[in-house]
Amino acid sequence: MLKINTVTVIGVTGTMGANIAGIFASFGEAKVYCVGRDIEKVRRTIPRIVKSVKADAISKKLIPADFSTLEECVRQSDLVFESSKEDIDVKTEIAERVSSALQPHAISGTGSSGLSITRIAECYPEALRGHFFGIHMFNPPYTLPLCELTPTVYSDKALQAELKAYLSEKLIRTVVEVKDSPAFLGNRIGFQFINETLQYAQRYKDNGGIDYIDALLGSFTGRTMAPLVTSDFVGLDVHKAIVDNIYENTHDYAHETFVLPDFVTRLVEAGKLGRKTGGGLYQLVKYDNGLKRQTVYDINTGLYRDLIPYAFPFAEKMKKSIAEGDYARAFERLVNNRSQEAEICLSFLLKYIVYSLYATREVGYTIEAADDVMATGFNWCPPLAMYQALSIVADVPTLIRERLPEICGSVDLDELLADVKPSRYDYRIYFKSGRKMR
Amino acid sequence: MSKVYILGGAQTDFERNWTKEGKGMVALLKEAVADGLEGAGLSYDDLKELNADNRVACFVGNFIAEKYVDQGHLGAFLTEVDPAFYGVPSARYEAACASASVAIDAAQTKIKVGDYDVAIVVGWELMKTVESRVGGDFLGRAAFYEREGKGIDLPFPKLFGRLADETLKKYPDLDENRYMDALAKISVINYGNAKRNPLAQTRKWFMSYEQASMRGTETNPLVGGRLAVSDCSQVTDGAAVVVLCSERFVRERGIENKPTIRGFGHRTAPMLFDKKMADNADSLFVLPWTRQACLDAYRRSGLDVDDIDVFETHDCFTSSEYAAISAFGLAEPGKEYEAVESGLIAFNGDKPINPSGGLIGCGHPVGASGARMLLDLYKQVTGTAGDYQVVGAQNGMMLNIGGSATTNYVFIVGIQ
Repeated sequence: MLKINTVTVIGVTGTMGANIAGIFASFGEAKVYCVGRDIEKVRRTIPRIVKSVKADAISKKLIPADFSTLEECVRQSDLVFESSKEDIDVKTEIAERVSSALQPHAISGTGSSGLSITRIAECYPEALRGHFFGIHMFNPPYTLPLCELTPTVYSDKALQAELKAYLSEKLIRTVVEVKDSPAFLGNRIGFQFINETLQYAQRYKDNGGIDYIDALLGSFTGRTMAPLVTSDFVGLDVHKAIVDNIYENTHDYAHETFVLPDFVTRLVEAGKLGRKTGGGLYQLVKYDNGLKRQTVYDINTGLYRDLIPYAFPFAEKMKKSIAEGDYARAFERLVNNRSQEAEICLSFLLKYIVYSLYATREVGYTIEAADDVMATGFNWCPPLAMYQALSIVADVPTLIRERLPEICGSVDLDELLADVKPSRYDYRIYFKSGRKMR
Repeated sequence: MSKVYILGGAQTDFERNWTKEGKGMVALLKEAVADGLEGAGLSYDDLKELNADNRVACFVGNFIAEKYVDQGHLGAFLTEVDPAFYGVPSARYEAACASASVAIDAAQTKIKVGDYDVAIVVGWELMKTVESRVGGDFLGRAAFYEREGKGIDLPFPKLFGRLADETLKKYPDLDENRYMDALAKISVINYGNAKRNPLAQTRKWFMSYEQASMRGTETNPLVGGRLAVSDCSQVTDGAAVVVLCSERFVRERGIENKPTIRGFGHRTAPMLFDKKMADNADSLFVLPWTRQACLDAYRRSGLDVDDIDVFETHDCFTSSEYAAISAFGLAEPGKEYEAVESGLIAFNGDKPINPSGGLIGCGHPVGASGARMLLDLYKQVTGTAGDYQVVGAQNGMMLNIGGSATTNYVFIVGIQ
C-alpha cells in the first residue's frame, strides 16, 4: 500500500477542498496542509472539516497554511491535491509552483471535473506527468464514496494501480477508473438526465413546469431527491458549467439534451443559482413568525408560486405499493399506465438505462462502472439495477423499442444490451414511497 | 432427538432507514422473508407444501414493536407478508435485545422433539420511527422500567456505564486507563471489521483509536458515565431471518454440508442492576450468569474454548464486550484487556470476536440481533462470509444478551 503520510490540499476553503481534506485526515490518517489564499478563512474552515467526518481526533492533523508557504508544504507532502477554481490560468500557476517543490516520489492530483485532465497534466514538466491523476470525488464525500480516477496518456500505470488501491482500501472510496472525457462518467449520465428534465419542464410549462416534472420523477422512481431539486442543490451555475462543457466537447446521440433551456440561463444571469443563493428553481420563503413556504419558479410568468400538490394516479399507486414493499406491483402500475405522466416517467427511466450503457462504453472501462457511479455518486438506483427492477414485470428490450423509437434509430441497441448483467446493487433500497410511516 | 441444522437465511442492509424510505414493517418483513427463504434454498411453494402436512412453523423475535410501530400480535403478522403463511403456526418471542435468541431456542426445541421439520426464525426491529431520546426511553423497558428507566434520559448507556464502574470496582488491580483504553480498542476493532461487511450500518463511517479515546468532545460526547458515543452500538432498522431444519428434512432433500446448533446456554440474572451486582460478590466474574450460560453451551456441545474459531458477541456497549471476553473463556476475569492488547480478538487474531462488526459496527436492530449473530456464524462456518470470512472457521459461538445482561443466550454452531 502507498504510504501517504502527508498531504497538501490546495483550495481548502471550497466545499470540495474542505471535505476532501477531511477524508485524507480521517481515513487516510495523514497530516494535511490546508492551503487557501486567505489564512483567516482557512482557519475558519478547520472546524467545518472536523465536522464533515464527525471526528475531533483529526483537528490536530489539519495544518492551516496560505500560498506564501505553498512550496514548503508541497516539499513535505507525499500527495498534493489541487481543488482550485476551474480556470486553466489558475491551475497553470499552481502547477508551476507545485512542480518546483514536488518530491520525486510524490503524487499530484486534481479534483477538476470541468477541464481536461490531460491539459492540466501538461502544465507540469514532462518528468512529473507520470505522477499526475484526476481524482474526482462527489459532495459530500463522507456519504457519497464515489471517486472517479482519471489517468492520462502520461500516467505511470503501476503507480495508478497503487493509487487505486490506496483510494479504495485506505480512504474507503468506490473507485471507478474513467477516461479523460468531459465531466467524466457520473456527471455525464446524471446531468444528461437532469438537463433533459429541465428541457421537459420548459416543454410542459403549461402543466406546471418544474414542479410538474419533479412530481413525476420523485423518490418513488429510484432516487433520494427529485432531479430538479438536485439541480437546485448542486447550483444552477455548476449545472450550466457541466452541461455546457459536455455540449461543446462531446457529440453523441443525446447531444441536444445537453442544451440548457433559456429560462435557466436567465436565472443564472440574475444570480438565482439555487439553494446556496436562497432561490433558483425553487425558493424557500421564510417569514418573521418562523413559518416557511416552499415556492417554485413558474416558467410562464417568471415569478415564484406555491407548489402544486400533484397526485398523478400512477404515481400515487406506485408509492402505495413501494410503501408495502410490493415492488413488482409498483412497476406494473408504471408500465401499464398510459397517462402522459406515466409515459414521461417511464421514458426517462428507459433513456437513463440506454444512455448509461452508451456513456460507460465511451467514458468508462466496464459496464459496472455505470452502476458504481450512479449508486455511490448520486444515490440513484443504478442503471443495471433499474434494468433488473423493470425486468420483473416487462421485457425491457421490447419496452425500449416500443417507448423510445427515436433513440433506437440512432444507437445499436442490441450491441448495448449485450453488456447488461445482474447488478451488484439492490434496487429496492432506491425506490422510496415518499410517505410518512409510523 | 433430532439434530438441528441451519439451512441459511439473510439479513437486511443495516444502513437502511426504512422510515426515510417511506416503508414500514410490511415492506421490511416482505423483503427479509423473501431473501431469507432464498438464502435457505426454500420457496413459498415449498412452504405451502410443508404446511399442508403441518411440518413448518415460524418464530418471530421482536422486542417492542408496540412502541416503535404501534403493533402487537407479531407472529400472526407474517400472514401479511405472503398468503403462503396462512395456516402456518407462528408466534412472537420476547426477551428484550435477546428476543431473536429466545425465538431460535423455541424453534430448535420444536425441531429436536420432532414437532416440525422446518422452523423459520424472523428477528426484526424498526427503531428509526422515533427520535433517539424517545427510542432510548422505549428501550428502558428492557430494565426494571419503573425503577431504572422511567424519567431517566438514555437509561441504557447509564446502566452499561455503571457496568464499567463496577468492573473497575470488582478488580482493584485493573488500571482505569488500561481498561478505558481496552474499551476504545474494542470500539475500533468493531468499526474496522464493519468496513468488510457490505451490510453493516457503519461501513462508511470513520472511527480511529484517537477518536474513540477522545471521550467528552463535541463529536464523541459522554452518554453514560464514563462511556461515550464511540462506546455505543447504533440505533438500527433491520431484520434477520434464519431457517432451521431437522435431520429428516436434510436427508429427504439430500442437503449436505450444513452446520448444526451444537449447544446452547440460557440463564437469567436478577432484573435490577444493583441486585445483579450484589449477586456477583462470590464470583470471579462481574456477570456470573453470562459466564454460566457460556459454560452450559460448552457442556452441551462437548466443546471448549479451544474448539471455537470465531465469536459473535453482544457489544451493545464496549463494557459488555469486555465482560464477554472472560465469559467466553478468552481471558481470566479481570484481565480481559490482555485479549484486546495482544490482538487475540482482532479480525486476524486467533480468536476473532465480531468479524461482522458486531452491534457497534454492523448495527443493533434489537429484536433482530440474535438472529443476525446466528446467521453470521452460519456464514463463517460455511465459508460464505465473503470479505469478513475468518479463514478455516469450523465452530462459532455467540452471546446475545437482553437488558443489562439479564437474559443471557449462547449458541454454538459448527459443521459436524
